[in-house]
Amino acid sequence: MKRVLCELGELRGLWRAALALVALCAPFPAHALSAESGMQGMAMTALESAKSGLAERIQDLRMASSEVGRISEALAAAVLGGEGVRALTYLLILILVGCGAEWLYWTYASAPLRVIKATRAVSRRHAARLALRRMVLLGAGLLLFAVATIATSAAFTWPAGVHAAVVAATFAVVVVRLAWMAVDLIIVPGPAHRAPQRLVPLLQGQVHWAAACVLGVALALAIGGFVPALIEPIAGARHVAGALRVLAASLTAALLVSTLLLLSRRSNRGEKGDSGARRRLPQFPRAIVVVLLVVAVYGLWLLGAETAAAIAAIVSIVIALQLVSRVLVFYFWEAEIAADAEAAEARTGAEVIDPSLAPSIVLSVARFIIVLLGLGACALVLNAPMSDMAKSPHVLVRLGFELLGVAALALFAHVAWIVIRTTIDHRLERIGPINAGDPHGEPSPNARLLTLLPLLRTTAAVSILVMMVLSSLWALGIEITPLLAGAGVIGLALGFGAQALVRDIIAGIFYLAEDVFRVGEYIESGTTTKGTVERITLRTVALRHHNGPLHFVPYGALGTVRNNSRDWVIDKFNLPLPIDADSEKIRKMIKKIGIAMLDDPEVGHMLREPLKGKLYRIDPGVKIFRCKFETAPGNQFDVRAQAFKRIEAELKAMGVKFADGVQTVVVERPPLLMDAGTAQA
Amino acid sequence: MPIKSLLRTLRLVSGLILMLFVVGHLANLAIGLKSLEAMQAWLAHLMAPWQTPVGKFLLVGSMLLHVALGLYSIAARHSLAMSRTDVVQLVLGLCTPPLLLAHVIVMSMGSKLATAFEPSYGQILSVYWSFAPMLAFQQLFAVIFVWVHGAIGLYSWLVLKPVWRRIGGAVVPLLFGVPILALLGFAEAGKEVLDKLANDAAWRTDITAMVELLNPVRAELDAIQARILTVYGGLLLLAVAIFAGRRLYNRLTPVRVAYDEGLSATGVRGQSILDVSRLNGIPHADVCSARGRCGTCRVHVVAGMDHLSPLNDIERATLARVGADAGDRLACQARVLASGVSVVRVLPAFVETSAAHDSGAWMADSAGDAASGPAA
Repeated sequence: MKRVLCELGELRGLWRAALALVALCAPFPAHALSAESGMQGMAMTALESAKSGLAERIQDLRMASSEVGRISEALAAAVLGGEGVRALTYLLILILVGCGAEWLYWTYASAPLRVIKATRAVSRRHAARLALRRMVLLGAGLLLFAVATIATSAAFTWPAGVHAAVVAATFAVVVVRLAWMAVDLIIVPGPAHRAPQRLVPLLQGQVHWAAACVLGVALALAIGGFVPALIEPIAGARHVAGALRVLAASLTAALLVSTLLLLSRRSNRGEKGDSGARRRLPQFPRAIVVVLLVVAVYGLWLLGAETAAAIAAIVSIVIALQLVSRVLVFYFWEAEIAADAEAAEARTGAEVIDPSLAPSIVLSVARFIIVLLGLGACALVLNAPMSDMAKSPHVLVRLGFELLGVAALALFAHVAWIVIRTTIDHRLERIGPINAGDPHGEPSPNARLLTLLPLLRTTAAVSILVMMVLSSLWALGIEITPLLAGAGVIGLALGFGAQALVRDIIAGIFYLAEDVFRVGEYIESGTTTKGTVERITLRTVALRHHNGPLHFVPYGALGTVRNNSRDWVIDKFNLPLPIDADSEKIRKMIKKIGIAMLDDPEVGHMLREPLKGKLYRIDPGVKIFRCKFETAPGNQFDVRAQAFKRIEAELKAMGVKFADGVQTVVVERPPLLMDAGTAQA
Repeated sequence: MPIKSLLRTLRLVSGLILMLFVVGHLANLAIGLKSLEAMQAWLAHLMAPWQTPVGKFLLVGSMLLHVALGLYSIAARHSLAMSRTDVVQLVLGLCTPPLLLAHVIVMSMGSKLATAFEPSYGQILSVYWSFAPMLAFQQLFAVIFVWVHGAIGLYSWLVLKPVWRRIGGAVVPLLFGVPILALLGFAEAGKEVLDKLANDAAWRTDITAMVELLNPVRAELDAIQARILTVYGGLLLLAVAIFAGRRLYNRLTPVRVAYDEGLSATGVRGQSILDVSRLNGIPHADVCSARGRCGTCRVHVVAGMDHLSPLNDIERATLARVGADAGDRLACQARVLASGVSVVRVLPAFVETSAAHDSGAWMADSAGDAASGPAA
């Protein structure tokens, strides 16, 4: 427990940092709280700044054309000369080195890549694994290209300003190629027979649009991100840079809006075509919401609020991902979920209790990671120093972080609980109820799990809850040391007081762990307590005596246990026959009965070794035959009754009677009197 | 008459001769890393063989032949389905003549028209680095284009040869080292030239005078260049027109090809089976990029053998070399003339060059792998 808490403590620092980011991102500046009275004033200020931002953009666009002329003249003058030739020479060497390194890599890697491409994905997760392998191969090539190019560029003495341009251009190329890689791996544009490799639920008609959109956006962002940053300091052309940014942003927005509208229209049409019968209730069209979000972000950016636009974009992306994450994740388990639902319907006619374990966990974790990434991105946008955040002087801000920390802990606990519950429930469901209706049947080998698993589930639930509560208290800054210490003291006292209880519980754990008995088995403990195990609880085991009474035996008092329901039982009984019975004939007769019993529909399947008999003892006037057979536990009574029935019938047929209890006393007489004696008898 | 293999041999030989010349020339440039004088001194040794009548004949003949064969190969195409490398090679090859023309004309015609003109590295580099940097750009691109075009050809020819295992380790560094060293030599020599132009007045007047010599004949040289370019452009247009015309005409008769694994694809009449595979994204082995050398693209024709073009000499030789069964065809050579062709790909799509060396052994080796590999 303590160790776990320590580990959670280490995590706590991390949480604080993460939460600190949120606080920065939240539009929660201190002056906003204090200046409630100036609502109107604030609105005016915002409007003013928006106006000036827009004016600046327009100014950029207007001035750009004259600046372009100036720059191109300057550029031509700079390029047409020794410097330009040198720069181009080095650039060509750079391209040779970068492309050459990658080409060399591909002479080795292209065959494995083709193997992966030619592999048929048997399931969606298999497709994901294949995509991962392809990503490693493709990514290594790209990395090699980037590293070789950038590292080689350091070897030359470039003309002024060119080196930065070359590095930026390399980055731009890498960004666009990364986007292409992502498109190729995830969206997989191509003919229909590549559809099994697709990692997102898109229709065949949509993939090319989606791919084009992603590539176009990547291209626009790469140009808008790298080119203006180069132009501004080197050529001093502020307006051209601004105009380029506006163009890139407009292009991105236009691409996103058109693609979203197109995709939503196509998927609507596809749905109608697929299942016209299953109509959904009218909903507000999501595509319009998304489009409005895109337009809003674009508008914010256009008005000069670049940070706000970036944060709005991140928040909308996070929300959109949260909304679709269930569909995206469950897409990979579609086959299994469908099979599960079918099986459950076939079994009970009801819905499945839970989707399978893996997608639930992946979904929770994915949602969590998406939020974390969003927070990280916000922090990057704000350029916020993460370490200072948690020490914010504002109480509300700090409380906000801490509450978020609690939420994160709750998420952890939730994931842990899902893992445990779903695993156990699925296991239990698969085992099914044991010995339904027949308490004396042979218990299934999973009976022990059936007793242990619910126990485990309750224990896990309690401990997760306790740990969650304690860690949340800690995260909120409440000292839990006294609580823990108090709990320790109480535990000690209780421990002394409840020694017997503890002994019972611990003994019980060992009985269960060593598989001494299971629910449904017939056990004896000591001389009097015997019966079928009906229930196993934390402290006692309930034994149903064959006469009806139910014994509750604490584990501590159980002692030696004699389990009558394990593996097999040998039953022996004696058969007293008159002394003149032919023992060989009897032996054969019993053996024949044994073989015949194997085919008996009632008891045949219970027998493990057939009935056999042999002469065991000869007493005066009595031959005692001992018979024996082996059955599964609990069946010996039925089998024995059947054996007696058959032996009796057979003996009657043979004319052999059972030995009677009358002892015949034969008196030795002299030979003279013998004839008379026999005549009298 | 084995016309196809003759053309292939001619293309290879002319390309090799040109490559030899380029290597020598680039090696000469690389000497610029040492000094301008060393460059000039080595010029005589490295370029001398090409100044002899035989050398000149070989060089000019190869040049014309190679360009003509390139244009012919465009005209003879049936589809644009090519590997990425082939596209690069084709485009670079087409761009080369216009880029190189100015340099070639000045070097070969200059001294004939202006008798006093004597080209030297000092002059030419001065022109490039100082007087007309535009020409330098042209030249730099020409160097890279020619080299990449040649290197692709050389590599894809050699890699299929069994000898590649032994010489590959030596050839690949050369393929990268030669152009890089040449460019570095060009840059270093350029620095030296600029330095001399700035500081050595006598040298500068020399160079300027020599460059001036060309001014009177410039118009004539430009006219020659324009004429050659027009002819080249016309031929290129003609080749493209022939290709486009055939492609459009064949478009009227689409053909369908059935593959193993239940795949099927549509192409147009006249395209090879491999073209159809590529155009439809069907995985198909082609180690030599449809040159008919490796035999890895071969298919077993289940039905419609008479709907395929007859065996040509390249295909026959390759099929015999790899020991193909009767009823096997090379997908890159067998052209589909009508629907109803059904084929089974013999080798998996992911084979590499080792399969081209000895496909029987490769298939035996990887029989287990191939069976379990893609399924795993």
